[in-house]
Amino acid sequence: MITSDTFILEPTDQQLWSGIRYGNEQAYTRLFERYHRTLYNYGSKLSGNSAIVEDAVQEVFIDVWRLRANLTENVTSVKFYLYRALRRRIHVASDKFPVTEELTMLPDQEIPSTYSNSETMLIQSESNSMISRKVKEMLSQLPERQLEVITLRYFEDFSVEEIAGIMGINEKSVRNLIYKAITSFRQSPQNFLISVLIFCLLVIL
Amino acid sequence: MKHDPYSLTELIRNDDFIAWVRQPDEMNEARWRQFLQQHPKKKQTVESARRYIIFMGEDTGKAQPTSEQSEKMWKAVEKHLRGELVEEQEENEEDTEPEPGNVISGWRWVRIAASAALIAGMASFSYWYYTNQPGHSDQFSLYANERSIEKLIEKNNDTDKPMLVLLPDGSSVVLQPESSLSYVNTINAKTREVTLKGRAFFEIVKNPEKPFLVYTFGLATKVLGTSFLIDAPENGRDIKVEVTTGKVSVFSLDDSQTSENRINSTELKGFIINPTEKITFSREDGKLTKTVVGVDEKKQENDISSQSFMFDETPVSEVFLALEKAYNIRIFYNREQMGSCPLNATLVGQPIYEKLSVICNALDAEFEIKDNLVTITGQGCK
Repeated sequence: MITSDTFILEPTDQQLWSGIRYGNEQAYTRLFERYHRTLYNYGSKLSGNSAIVEDAVQEVFIDVWRLRANLTENVTSVKFYLYRALRRRIHVASDKFPVTEELTMLPDQEIPSTYSNSETMLIQSESNSMISRKVKEMLSQLPERQLEVITLRYFEDFSVEEIAGIMGINEKSVRNLIYKAITSFRQSPQNFLISVLIFCLLVIL
Repeated sequence: MKHDPYSLTELIRNDDFIAWVRQPDEMNEARWRQFLQQHPKKKQTVESARRYIIFMGEDTGKAQPTSEQSEKMWKAVEKHLRGELVEEQEENEEDTEPEPGNVISGWRWVRIAASAALIAGMASFSYWYYTNQPGHSDQFSLYANERSIEKLIEKNNDTDKPMLVLLPDGSSVVLQPESSLSYVNTINAKTREVTLKGRAFFEIVKNPEKPFLVYTFGLATKVLGTSFLIDAPENGRDIKVEVTTGKVSVFSLDDSQTSENRINSTELKGFIINPTEKITFSREDGKLTKTVVGVDEKKQENDISSQSFMFDETPVSEVFLALEKAYNIRIFYNREQMGSCPLNATLVGQPIYEKLSVICNALDAEFEIKDNLVTITGQGCK
């Protein structure tokens, strides 16, 4: 004799997904609860207009329900699916670029391997509050696409491959964007100023 | 100067390093600990890189909606959900009652009627579905309860066979005859707590943040994730706790002040019991005595607490048989396809759900557990 009515493991995305395919409303509610906040967060990096972001998040979920009968059974990552859908929605809504955008304007330059020579500028013994402030500053100045990549990589924990899929660009471009964002730490004006000062001091002495 | 693959900017971008910071597991933890041991000079760099990654994550995750916005979005989504349901039903009613004036002759009429019946059937089926969730998927429907009421659930085993109880967190308990187990059905509580009268074997899902507590009369047993046996007969004098894997701490509940602290802390304090050790708590004088589990102690042959669940090239059919006996369950699978697949696994201490996951993973199969029935589907081994 066994009882299983008490069995509530946290369902996986896949389980929720197949629940939705069978029209299970609670699975749907659960999925919304699980993802709408971070989707909104991601959306806000794509559009400064919160009304557009809200609408887009709603529509992504409404579509999931509306098309539930036709959802692929074995979607590799539900999360990936939702994020990609949201990005498309927002780009359509804000009329940014065509949906079929294939970003080739991004120069696929090789990252020079000698670049990290000047690594020393990234001060390695910074305090927590310094790093925190620096990160905040750097992120606030990042171009939109770099900020988007950083969000997907370091907050959403998507792999580079997945990010490439979401943004419709190749993996190399994703890595380039990450690289550019990170190296902008060292190029922030204050750092530059400090290094100039130090340099001057050295010269004077 | 040589290119340094472990410079700060390189580390911040290193996929494995990011994984270690964001989603540490045993593997990457071991790798990066080892790296630090081999490169002690990199300690500072590693620490800085960690912080950059953490702060970037924190900072880019701050634009989440307010609860009003969440509410608003859900209302819009929900409206659609309900709206569609209503439409579906109305459609269904229209279709099933063709207007009397309409005359459609021959086959066409039959075809339309048939499709109308089909639509009606589908609509009523889905309507039935929405209103009868529990029959299909217990997992989801229970989340509804979680929001409204926290139910106290009590399981009594008044049969003469062991009874498997699956707990909300995925842990499993084998409850012996004439024993009962009660717990609050919620996954949101800070601790996981059950009350036991009688004898039961526990296999607990690891969760260092949420200690698992078993209350038996005057004794509390606290674990972070392990397997153990408790024997607390209702009218017996002694309570026995015996550990199979992991560590367990026990403490008596008479001094409420300290026990409160012990329950709430995520550390194991009190009397620690290690594997193969056993503790006896006297209900009369509250004394705890520790002994080593004797080899000669007689146990029922199929008693789950004495099984090692170690399988070395064991045919799956034998593995399933062992599980069926230990948990008193029935496992359905395609014996011809799967039965002879060899399995290597050590499954001691894991809840039934995890055991089945491991096995099915190895077999590339899937399982479903419902009541005392487990169904396994897969292609078998090649």
